[in-house]
Amino acid sequence: MAFSTTVFQRKYIKRKAPRGFLKRVFKRQKPHLRLETSSDLLVHLNCLLFVHRLAEESRMNAFENKYGIIKKEHVQAAAKITKLSTNFKLGTTNLGTFGLHLKKLTFRSYYKTRFCELLVSHFLREVD
Amino acid sequence: MAEAMAERYNRDSEPTTRTLLRRVLDTADTHTPRRRRSARIGAQKALLETPSSRRLSTPTKMNVRRGSHRARSIGRLAHVHTSGNLEEQTPRTLLKNIILTAPESSIMTPKSVVKPVPTPQVVRSSRQESSRGSLELQLPELEPPTTLALGLLAPGRRKQRLRLSVFQQEMDQGLPLSQAEPRGNASASSLTSSLSLTFASPLQTQSVQRPGLARRPPTRRAVDVGAFLQDLRDTSLALASPGDSLRTPVATLPTDTVLEDTQPFSQPLVGHSPSVYHSLPFLSHTEAENSERAVSRRTQSSGSRLQNHNPGKPAQLLAGKAKKIDVLAVSLPNNSSAISGEDGVEPLQDGVGEEAEERMEESLSVSEVMGSTGTQGSVRTEKSKGHGEMTEALEAKEPEGSSEDEDISGRTASPELASSTTEFLQARRPQFLEPAPPPSTTVLSSEPLEPLPTRHHPRARTHGPRPRQDPHKTGLSHYVKLFSFYAKMPMEKKALEMVEKCLDKYFQHLCDDLEVFSAHAGRKTVRPEDLELLMRRQGLVNDQVSLHVLVERHLPLEYRQLLIPCAFSGNSVFPAQ
Repeated sequence: MAFSTTVFQRKYIKRKAPRGFLKRVFKRQKPHLRLETSSDLLVHLNCLLFVHRLAEESRMNAFENKYGIIKKEHVQAAAKITKLSTNFKLGTTNLGTFGLHLKKLTFRSYYKTRFCELLVSHFLREVD
Repeated sequence: MAEAMAERYNRDSEPTTRTLLRRVLDTADTHTPRRRRSARIGAQKALLETPSSRRLSTPTKMNVRRGSHRARSIGRLAHVHTSGNLEEQTPRTLLKNIILTAPESSIMTPKSVVKPVPTPQVVRSSRQESSRGSLELQLPELEPPTTLALGLLAPGRRKQRLRLSVFQQEMDQGLPLSQAEPRGNASASSLTSSLSLTFASPLQTQSVQRPGLARRPPTRRAVDVGAFLQDLRDTSLALASPGDSLRTPVATLPTDTVLEDTQPFSQPLVGHSPSVYHSLPFLSHTEAENSERAVSRRTQSSGSRLQNHNPGKPAQLLAGKAKKIDVLAVSLPNNSSAISGEDGVEPLQDGVGEEAEERMEESLSVSEVMGSTGTQGSVRTEKSKGHGEMTEALEAKEPEGSSEDEDISGRTASPELASSTTEFLQARRPQFLEPAPPPSTTVLSSEPLEPLPTRHHPRARTHGPRPRQDPHKTGLSHYVKLFSFYAKMPMEKKALEMVEKCLDKYFQHLCDDLEVFSAHAGRKTVRPEDLELLMRRQGLVNDQVSLHVLVERHLPLEYRQLLIPCAFSGNSVFPAQ
């Protein structure tokens, strides 16, 4: 019966997720919303992956320019590419990319993306 | 009967040599009308039957050979009788073949190997003797052949024994050995050493045989310390020679020492300059190494390549050695502060970064021995100051240095330590003969008088305002550190700030997206499903790569337990789906 407390094997976790920080940030941004417990960790996971991609990209930029140190410009360029690839802000994506995604996704996700498509179109209409 | 036995053997096993030999033996035994050997035959048969089931090669061969020997020893009768069986098999030929082709296994003596063919009878007899001896009565039987060797217990071969004897002779003569059987020789040597005391150096031989296992005596430490001392003396001499002008402020120093010195062992520091070096070798090994390195750097006049190492080393040293005060506190407080003083003053004097580093290193290494955070802080700040100041304008630097010294001293935890450091700062100058101008000394002397009021200011400056951004930035810094870790390359500070901005934007976008997703699902709470959708949109989660896979890869075990449902005992799943 491992409902309430999972017995951790060790008391000290390496690479802890700053759960308090994440919750605080979310609350500041969207005070009317709530974050669930597990989603907190998934947000942390998302951040990790984002940072990872950013770092890889900036490192590649630095290597290409034959710099031994990562400079601001590398990071900026990397951020642009990473943000484009992550499809942030629903408004920024194209419906075309959605179409591409549709082919690959599963049944459930397909429907989700369809709804997202509708949302996107809705937003675009709003913008227009 | 023999045929019956043979048949039984046939049924039991393939027509191997053993079985053939057995058959031969049976036939031979039955045909040999020997009363003397009757008992022996019976015993042999018993012996035969017992190993026959096991099918051990050596005893059967043994028995076979014994039987064969007996058969042969019987003489022409046996021969005739055995040859009577030539119609069915050819035991003699079989035996001959066996003798010729049989592998010279453990029981076989090398002598038998050496003489395979020519005189089978002689060979067999010898073999039988040796085999008999090795099998049944090892000790007494071995003695006659091992007249050369010294009564080995292990069933060694004659060749081995011979080699052993040779080995022993060589050992006695003290010649190096190159044996083909190191193991046997090692064991033999050990055995023989146990038996006889004539072995010159068994350990040496063992090491010669197995060079990998030899252990060098650790004599390095003494050498290092000696070299270190030498280096120290050389450097001290080198440093002591240039400036005699620094002797002038000595007059001012004793007063300061009398006033502010609270250390029990603060004596005229001029005499302590060698003691500094001498005391340093008594530090722990790593500290000696550090100081060695410092000294070596001094001597080698290397560049400022070690600036990066300095912060790392002192941190390690401090962490590790903060508890070694007791042993060395007696002699070291003077020296440590002296070094730190010298450290602080040196950068003022000359722009030799290496020396500054070395002093810092030394001071740091010694400061840990002091074990006081105040001194450490002061040393650190001094070091940083030394790093910063590479110019030669003394007087221009002094006010800076003095102000910084104030800051440094202000940050010291205890005014006493600050006073001691400053005192030794001053004291160090004459020893290293830096042009310590009086204003700096006066400023420094004034420092200990105002540690308390100055202490609070720098601290207030750093921790005074508590902006809203501060916890936000500390949280972001977590991810910024991760960024620098993933990048695996040195980064500019501007780049790190850029990363912070990117993260800010990223969080904003993230929250917006989550809001949209949860609103679409008609909820006001963000659930993991929303997160999964977000990651799918980002392209992190595919059909090939699921969310669970990413969780496994990147999150620690404890979080994985919380996120991925797993079945537990009692028909329960956690977390509940």
